[in-house]
Amino acid sequence: MAQYLPIFALLVVAVLFAALSFAASKLLAPRNPTEEKLAPYECGIIPGREPPQRFPVRFYLVAMLFIVFDIEIVFLYPWAMTYGDLGLFGLLAILLFSALVFESFVYLISKGALDWGPLQVNRRQQATVVARTAESTIRKVGTEGRYSEAEPVVTAASSTLETGAA
Amino acid sequence: MTNFLSDGVSAGDIVLAGIKAVIAFVICLVATMLMVWFERKVVSRLQNRIGPNVTGPFGLLQTLADGIKLFFKEDIIPSRSDRFVFQLAPYLSLVPAFLTFAIIPIAGDFSPGNDGTVTLPGGQVTGFQVADVPAGILFFLAMSSLGIYGIMLAGWSSGSKYPLLGSVRATAQAISYEAALGLSLASVILVSGTLSTSGIVQAQAEGGFFGMNMIVTGFVPFFVFIVAGTAELNRPPFDLVEAEQELVGGFHTEYSSIRFAMFFLAEFMNTVTMGAIIVTLFMGGPSAWFGLYFLGWFGGFVWFFAKLLLFLFMFVWFRATLPRLRYDQLMDLGWKLLIPISLGWLLVLGGIRVAQNGDIGLFESNTADVIFVLAVSLAIMAIGATLLQKAITNSAQERLASRGLRSVPTQQDLAASTTEQDGGH
Repeated sequence: MAQYLPIFALLVVAVLFAALSFAASKLLAPRNPTEEKLAPYECGIIPGREPPQRFPVRFYLVAMLFIVFDIEIVFLYPWAMTYGDLGLFGLLAILLFSALVFESFVYLISKGALDWGPLQVNRRQQATVVARTAESTIRKVGTEGRYSEAEPVVTAASSTLETGAA
Repeated sequence: MTNFLSDGVSAGDIVLAGIKAVIAFVICLVATMLMVWFERKVVSRLQNRIGPNVTGPFGLLQTLADGIKLFFKEDIIPSRSDRFVFQLAPYLSLVPAFLTFAIIPIAGDFSPGNDGTVTLPGGQVTGFQVADVPAGILFFLAMSSLGIYGIMLAGWSSGSKYPLLGSVRATAQAISYEAALGLSLASVILVSGTLSTSGIVQAQAEGGFFGMNMIVTGFVPFFVFIVAGTAELNRPPFDLVEAEQELVGGFHTEYSSIRFAMFFLAEFMNTVTMGAIIVTLFMGGPSAWFGLYFLGWFGGFVWFFAKLLLFLFMFVWFRATLPRLRYDQLMDLGWKLLIPISLGWLLVLGGIRVAQNGDIGLFESNTADVIFVLAVSLAIMAIGATLLQKAITNSAQERLASRGLRSVPTQQDLAASTTEQDGGH
């Protein structure tokens, strides 16, 4: 336990520092609360709605996925410490384990568990070129690059990933 | 039966612990103060401004002046907030920031034959760190996770829209990047063979300049760690947590006076600590490069400080130059790039090490085994990358299909549309 004693001492000092700061602030700071001052901050507008009670489910999904990876890390650390003693058996075991986790990870991504934000709409490829002929010498500004509304053509998000090959 | 708590603790240990804690506390505060000044000054110069230059020499005391000012400001606890949690959150943010510093060796003589410790007049042997615990890395991970609680509870207890959104974002971001952080850390543990920070520094010191973990682990974990560390700190370009244009001030919108100062202090203390952790894990900490040891333990401090300054400047440089990421880009970068890469790299590194130890034994020589491992891992990584790419494309197509949109146009589609247009005229 002697090794952890200084950490405990630092903990005490840090908590004391925070508590004393709050005490000092209580003594020094003015106190003049008004109803408007205590209202939630909405850039000067009177808040009309309660803060949201529900959240996009993706945030929960991320939290759950994190647990999967955190547990994987928990198993990887002991192997990283003792890989020399475990030898080939340890390597194969950890490979199998990682492959299983990775496989479910790929499945989740393919099911769209980690899709955020809008899909990238590809406008460049579908640019309609308005030819300048004798009939239409007027070039409409702002229509270039717009796809027709009758048949929206969208391409998949061309991910910036080069994937794990690096 | 001896008491577990007091086992092997002498009066000298307690005194030493107290002294160390106070010194570490002062170093933390002064370093944070100077870091705020440094950041403001460097960002100013990069933006062609002068920055703080009135308070004290070169404006050095600006942070102190700001801190004192905050003591005299009214402390507002919003009427809709959860009072207890609202008051608890700054503690949860600040205390872990202090504690992380405990595991960093900031000085010491790591020249050959020395392990960075000194013998005090009282006969105690100690290193230049608050506590040289055997599980230092795990302690760092634990503390960085605890810090997230502060942010999350601060936003949740404010009873307001922007802080809540900011804190949910912050939590999702921090846990996403924590996985990448932990995986790249595993590579360091693998090559150093220890969880103790001073042990990691010593393992690097033995190899000299090329013994640095940055080189030994093959650069990839180093870069992953820098990106994940910056995201973990919620610093630009990953500062969506307090994206001013969208969320006002993020999770600490409702905080004022000294409570706000606590979050601010914790943020900058974490920046300094993260820089120090990178130096310790990847750059050899207080050990000298090219065998340039001098002045015993003080030389170690000079080396440590020089390396630390490099990374602190890097963090500030990031802030001044890089635009903020979009939230989906942030999540994609963390989950679909950094995590697979760092996992794959760790396994390849492990495979090579096992082959070097001669534990595979497929071929006569270990070198042949290493080459075999490299070939196999290249194949496996290619398969993994293909699978991941397929999964990403598949999910995008499913989303398109669910909206009744045409999926990715093929080359034929494009060619057809061009000919149609040509024919029209």
